[in-house]
Amino acid sequence: MSPQFVISLITIVLIVHVMLLATSYLIMLERKTCAWIQDRIGPNRTGFSFGVLPLKFHFWGLGQPLADGIKMFLKEDYTPPFVERALFLLAPVLVIVPALIGWAVIPWGGYYASEGFTWWAWLPFLGGQTVAPFTVAVTGAPLSIGVIYMLAIGSLAVYGVVVGGYGSANKYAFLGGLRATAQMLSYEIPQGLSVLIIILMMGTATTDVIAVQQSLGDWNIWYQPLLAFIFFTCILAECNRAPFDIAEAEQELVAGYHVEYSSMKFALFFLGEYLHMITGSAFFVLLFLGGWSANPIPGVADLPIVGGLGIVLLKFAIFAGKVTFLVFAMMWIRWTLPRLRFDQLMKLAWRAMIPIALVLLLATGVVIYLDASFWILTAVNAIVFIGAAYLYPKLPSDDGNRRVPLAGSRFSPLLPADGN
Amino acid sequence: MNFVLSTPTTALTLAAETFSHYAPLGVLLLMAIGFGVGNLILTSIIGPSRQGETKGIVYESGMDPITSSRRRFNVRFYMVAMTFLIFDVEIVFLYPWAVTFPSLGGTEGDALAPLFVARMLFFLLTSIIAFAYAWRKGVFRYD
Repeated sequence: MSPQFVISLITIVLIVHVMLLATSYLIMLERKTCAWIQDRIGPNRTGFSFGVLPLKFHFWGLGQPLADGIKMFLKEDYTPPFVERALFLLAPVLVIVPALIGWAVIPWGGYYASEGFTWWAWLPFLGGQTVAPFTVAVTGAPLSIGVIYMLAIGSLAVYGVVVGGYGSANKYAFLGGLRATAQMLSYEIPQGLSVLIIILMMGTATTDVIAVQQSLGDWNIWYQPLLAFIFFTCILAECNRAPFDIAEAEQELVAGYHVEYSSMKFALFFLGEYLHMITGSAFFVLLFLGGWSANPIPGVADLPIVGGLGIVLLKFAIFAGKVTFLVFAMMWIRWTLPRLRFDQLMKLAWRAMIPIALVLLLATGVVIYLDASFWILTAVNAIVFIGAAYLYPKLPSDDGNRRVPLAGSRFSPLLPADGN
Repeated sequence: MNFVLSTPTTALTLAAETFSHYAPLGVLLLMAIGFGVGNLILTSIIGPSRQGETKGIVYESGMDPITSSRRRFNVRFYMVAMTFLIFDVEIVFLYPWAVTFPSLGGTEGDALAPLFVARMLFFLLTSIIAFAYAWRKGVFRYD
């Protein structure tokens, strides 16, 4: 039982509960954000009186997640007779498990240093034993493959969607599953390239070292603003969030791959989406927004790398604050932007983001080779952005969404629509 | 709160990775599977359960289902999967390079650094050619 193991276990048990509680309140925040944007009030009635206690006060509607959770459990858990039963039951678990384990390598609290202590004498087993001074990383698992672990677990999320869509034996679900798979696969490539560029800049894939190297305001977003934008877009697409939510486009596919799910099985899909939002935002904060770094201005004082319990908690608060802001930004985007069409979505990934990310990878490699200042990368980003905006209209285009010349078609140039 | 000036170069190098670095992941995995499976079992026990003839029909917005949902689907999804495979494998090959390259590039007179950058440029060039070929062949036409 090394100190690192104990601290990792404590971190994991605490963060799992924090994440699940945060998720239930994020669903409420989503409804509130939606309401504010649409000039409504949102859920504000459900308190903690449960119709039994004589409480007049509504607690600003904070009882809503609890009521939703109880409702989800009490609803009928219906497994339709036509589904592939094993796959149908497996899919929610396949969604929730990657969502729950992906964040394990996030360095929530930097490093914790202890000067050693002696356990109280009355404790069983441990009483009177002395612990030597130690320094540990406050994270679920301080792995040398940290960033790649996050990426790998993130790509496992696609299995839940595929299995759910196929196992439901429903046309809506099948189409939703297909679309979600194509979308998640496509956006994984620019995401992987972005992560590759950050690893190239940092020279390591260990998450806690990446956070340390960005302290003192050396946030990667200053050096790679365009890449940060690409990465954030990829996160939105990987979470199936609007404007990339064609997988569950209500107008066409009702609910997409979870159309046949009910009760807690549906809730697991829902929880998985929000957990992915948190994990994706934490990934973005880690790679681009300096992790626990408190100061965005380069070269100015920052939190110490190693600290006691107070520093660790403060770092966690800063990290969680950044993540919360990004999650809020995702909701903001969802209720602001309209949904993309499928061909626009795929073209954005394959024709825009992947070539740009490849060019940035080449440029970053050359800058690292020349051992030049990272600020050159900011200029490179600006040049690539202007160049792409200039070049893109000049590329050979095939007219998207062609009007098919079918007899009787609404768009038909051959015959009038109602002509015989 | 005391904001102490510290340099990023003093990045800690923890002890070599041992079993105890990976063991918490196993605990987390067990917790996650337990959460998922436990919820499935609980919800099947707690909720009501009624069957019905109409209830067992595939949901197609209230219409009677027309054909089976096991049908052919558009080949472009297959093309996406194939192209994804090529690029994802390429990216996986680049990770070890990305981790080791910065430590080679900085030192002067290191013959490995130009060799590494040249090889990687060639490797990327081949995939860029493949990308351009796929583009011209219309793989990325989604209309």
